[in-house]
Amino acid sequence: MTVSGGVGGAPPPASLSAAAPARAAAAPTTKARTPGWLVKRILYVAALFGATLIFVFPFVWLVSASLKTRQTVFNNELFPFPLHFENYVRIFEVVPLSNWFINSTIISILAATTVTISSALVAFGFAYFRFPGRNILFWLVLASMMLPGAVMMIPNFLIWNALGQVNSPTFAPLWAGNLFGSAFYIFLLRQFFLGLPRELFEAARVDGASYPRMFWSIALPLTRAALIVVFIFELRAAWTDLLRPLIFLRDLTLFTLPQGLQYLVKTYNPQVGGQGEFHLVMAASVLITLPMILVFFLAQRYFIEGIATTGSKG
Amino acid sequence: MPEQTRWAFIFLLPWIIGFVIFTAGPMLASLYLSFTDYNVIRAPELVGFDNYEQLMRDRRIPMSLGNTFFYALLHVPLLIIISLALASLLLRVGRAAGVFRTAFYLPNVTPAVAIGTLFLLLLAGGGLLNRMLDAVGINGPNWLTDPTWVKPGIVIMSLWTLGSTVIILFAAMRNVPIELYEAATIDGAGNWKQFRHITLPFISGAIFFTLIVNTIAALQIFSEVFTMFFTSRSGPAQDSALFYTIYLFQKAFQDLDLGYASAMAWVLFVIILVITAFQVWGSRRFVYYAGDDK
Amino acid sequence: MITRRSSGLALVAVLALVVTACSTSEGTPAASAPGPDGSAPAASPGGSAPAGSPGAGGADISGDLQVLARYGCEPAPCEPSGEGAADEIAFTRYNLFAEQYPDVTLDFTESDFDAQGFLTSVAAGNPPDVVRMDRAIIGTYVAEGALEPLDQCISGMGIDMSQFRQPAVDAVTVGGSVYGIPEFYDSRIILVNDSVVEDAGLTSADIDTSDWDRLTEVNQQLLQSEGDTPTRIGFDPKLPEFLPLWAKANGVDIVSADGLTSQLDDPAVAEALTFANSLIAAHGSGPAFNDFKTNGPGGVDFFGPENQFAADTLGAMPMEQWYLNVLANNTPDESISFQPFKDRQGNNISFSGGSTWAIPASADNKDAACEFMRVVTLADTWYAAAKVRADLRAADGEAFTGVYTGNTLADERIFGELVTEESARAYFPGVQLVQETADVAFSLPPVPAAEEFQRIWQGAVNAVVNEGADPAQALAQADQEAQDAIDSAQ
Repeated sequence: MTVSGGVGGAPPPASLSAAAPARAAAAPTTKARTPGWLVKRILYVAALFGATLIFVFPFVWLVSASLKTRQTVFNNELFPFPLHFENYVRIFEVVPLSNWFINSTIISILAATTVTISSALVAFGFAYFRFPGRNILFWLVLASMMLPGAVMMIPNFLIWNALGQVNSPTFAPLWAGNLFGSAFYIFLLRQFFLGLPRELFEAARVDGASYPRMFWSIALPLTRAALIVVFIFELRAAWTDLLRPLIFLRDLTLFTLPQGLQYLVKTYNPQVGGQGEFHLVMAASVLITLPMILVFFLAQRYFIEGIATTGSKG
Repeated sequence: MPEQTRWAFIFLLPWIIGFVIFTAGPMLASLYLSFTDYNVIRAPELVGFDNYEQLMRDRRIPMSLGNTFFYALLHVPLLIIISLALASLLLRVGRAAGVFRTAFYLPNVTPAVAIGTLFLLLLAGGGLLNRMLDAVGINGPNWLTDPTWVKPGIVIMSLWTLGSTVIILFAAMRNVPIELYEAATIDGAGNWKQFRHITLPFISGAIFFTLIVNTIAALQIFSEVFTMFFTSRSGPAQDSALFYTIYLFQKAFQDLDLGYASAMAWVLFVIILVITAFQVWGSRRFVYYAGDDK
Repeated sequence: MITRRSSGLALVAVLALVVTACSTSEGTPAASAPGPDGSAPAASPGGSAPAGSPGAGGADISGDLQVLARYGCEPAPCEPSGEGAADEIAFTRYNLFAEQYPDVTLDFTESDFDAQGFLTSVAAGNPPDVVRMDRAIIGTYVAEGALEPLDQCISGMGIDMSQFRQPAVDAVTVGGSVYGIPEFYDSRIILVNDSVVEDAGLTSADIDTSDWDRLTEVNQQLLQSEGDTPTRIGFDPKLPEFLPLWAKANGVDIVSADGLTSQLDDPAVAEALTFANSLIAAHGSGPAFNDFKTNGPGGVDFFGPENQFAADTLGAMPMEQWYLNVLANNTPDESISFQPFKDRQGNNISFSGGSTWAIPASADNKDAACEFMRVVTLADTWYAAAKVRADLRAADGEAFTGVYTGNTLADERIFGELVTEESARAYFPGVQLVQETADVAFSLPPVPAAEEFQRIWQGAVNAVVNEGADPAQALAQADQEAQDAIDSAQ
């Protein structure tokens, strides 16, 4: 449903036109080639490189810690020799990690698919049709984005409980809500639909196309990129969500990956009273992070375009 | 009913149903619950304003709100300032920007739990951060156990995922017409002046957007902190890391006091409404929209 | 038949079964169990089993029984292994029950008790049939009406409550009704690191908690620090968890005997807290102490071979007795001696805690649950499990430090027959000391808002240790909040 954004800020909606024409700022250097330009450029690159190190280093550390032993996991060696790859095998023996992978995958794909389709439907409704109360309803959509999840957490739990879906292998509470669209994506997709020329649709009407037909055969294909963005965003959000599984899933084998990791931390982290197999926790963290990194690299373009376009104007 | 309206209704139906069942319904239900005493095992029992009265006497409410605000006040400005700095740098390196941009976004794809776990490692007394500080002669504090430094430590952790903000601001900066900069240079304006009078106004929309979004998110921080500090029943930093949503969670699911937790949720909602309204009002005064933008 | 919700990978081979005589009578001791690498499944008791085996009370024991606990794994020990919670002590007993009641389908949730998980399962209307939880928090659930009073179960199935240690039974009795069957029983003694103590020119007997002034000196002599950062812990008072013990040493309890009145504001409690905190403060600062304790050398590998005793980063500390087992497994050659915790009058005291079995009020199969609880806490059952472990240890050439049950009869047999100077080796004096102090241990009574109460007083202690709060003030405030919580939970 909602984008459970990372702490760096999930890009929420803003008033903007989707097909924002890229400015002539293709040449980002705003200065002409003055002397000393190269030096400055090198300095900038160096600074960025330094910043990058800071951002990437924790990953490196994570991987490094995952290859250490229990005693050495808190030490400060960057390259632990020997490398203990067996941690990765061991973690599967200790917890049902493969179950968790499967669960997370199923949930994420279901969540992403349903939200894309349903949000597209609703977004098209807002974008294309003229009807009384259109603006008010849309404001309602926007307003609902501001609701803190906490307010609805308990009644949501009670609803799903009444439906018998708490701790259910259908994982319904974790994705079925997406059947009804999600405000953020509705907003985003509406912007894209608004950017489509109305003449296209008029022409189709003249040819006798029905509204569903127009939606399916014209609107969707033309906004393919945006749909992919929505899919990937929700994929990431569902994959990394912790709160909802914590509330709705109880059996160890039904856990999702983030929930499983939290369970691991609880069980193993000596700092919180666990038993100190922290190197295994690190290995699990790496395993849990890897799929998303993979998806990100493959779909980079979409991730970054998506964020940039949604937030490019206030 | 006119055809357009009918069809609009059909297309909008999923959202309408969802809104009624999963948004409006629960909102009203939680409002109702906030006036009851409810522990899930027995039926809710109306108790009037008791929960709200208790809220006002509970010292953990101002404490957790204070923690949350402190965190938000540290996190959001730093987030924007650092992201602006990085975005400015990106602007000046031409095509290399793509690679760096990717690197900055990488942390955002990491699950919150993994981030929390990772930073347990990095922020430990003898951990990486302190070792780096040592290298420049600073004696790092105990980020995880010293109450004074717990929240700054959490801010550091949360700044690790500023990648998406950098991308937004970078994209906004790229939209600023170069001609403006060139004209300013000709007039003799320096870098900083140009930034202040050209860049900032032009991207003020994006900044505002970032501000609102991240404030709302910061006020609801949960996953990382819960993983780091609250997976056991007690720990040294639990007072200083007690953020509002964590206390809410404890009240609901550990103390079985869901009526009280619902009251807490509504208080949070009102706070967020007020803050966001304030920010939106501020945006009318400070945000500049270039003519053809809307 | 047992099913476990556990690893999706290879299913574990069936366990060795222990044949035992019928449970109620003090029958012959159980035969031994197989070795650690899980031998081939022993033959199930042959013949046809009746549709439902009658329990002692004649009730029909059959159907599904969902147990909120870990079954454990093979080969033992397995990770994670909370002492006794998921290893041979656990599954040997469960197997005994399974053996006896083949018509019951046991289903383990493979998780520890989790407040939120339990609550959601109760709310969802399908709680487990029997849960194992910490005696310290049972008060919350009794007050909320989540647990079934066991009086009928006890009389119906013939559970002999007199076999259990009184403090344990008291901890699960609310308003005259018993709500739990005690399982483990841990008590605390002081573990002394001989090498560190001798290094400071002291002897083990110098670690004496009856003389607080002397203890302050001893702590100072044992600890080492560089500026504000400790490099060796002298005497670790184990705050916040052991506050009740320090309070008792000073003659007072933190809550009244009926569990309804908080006594945190008693000046003697503040005095105890001030003293215990001073031991920590002598190391530099609370946060530095805690960080060193958890992340420093030795502390990091608390459950492993590089623990604080091996790394000599600790002088002495009070600790639950099950840690003896960890030490015996990992650092058997380390020289460790034992002292009782004493109150200021010089009497031995100890604080006991442990787990209990309980039945949720809305459980389905209460009869089977009751019988399950009865069988797994019998003296014979305990003995069988302890024997398995004793044999394992002997086979590995390691010390066996016993199993601490809440069942006095079981303890007599285990510590009478299985734990000897030979089997316990260097830990024998410690084991004996634990047995002696087990009788003088006290428990906290069940408190209506138990979880919250614990969070509140531990929070107060943490404020004192880590934030420099004033003990009297912090406790006074905690007392207020605790009393509010207790009152509103009733």
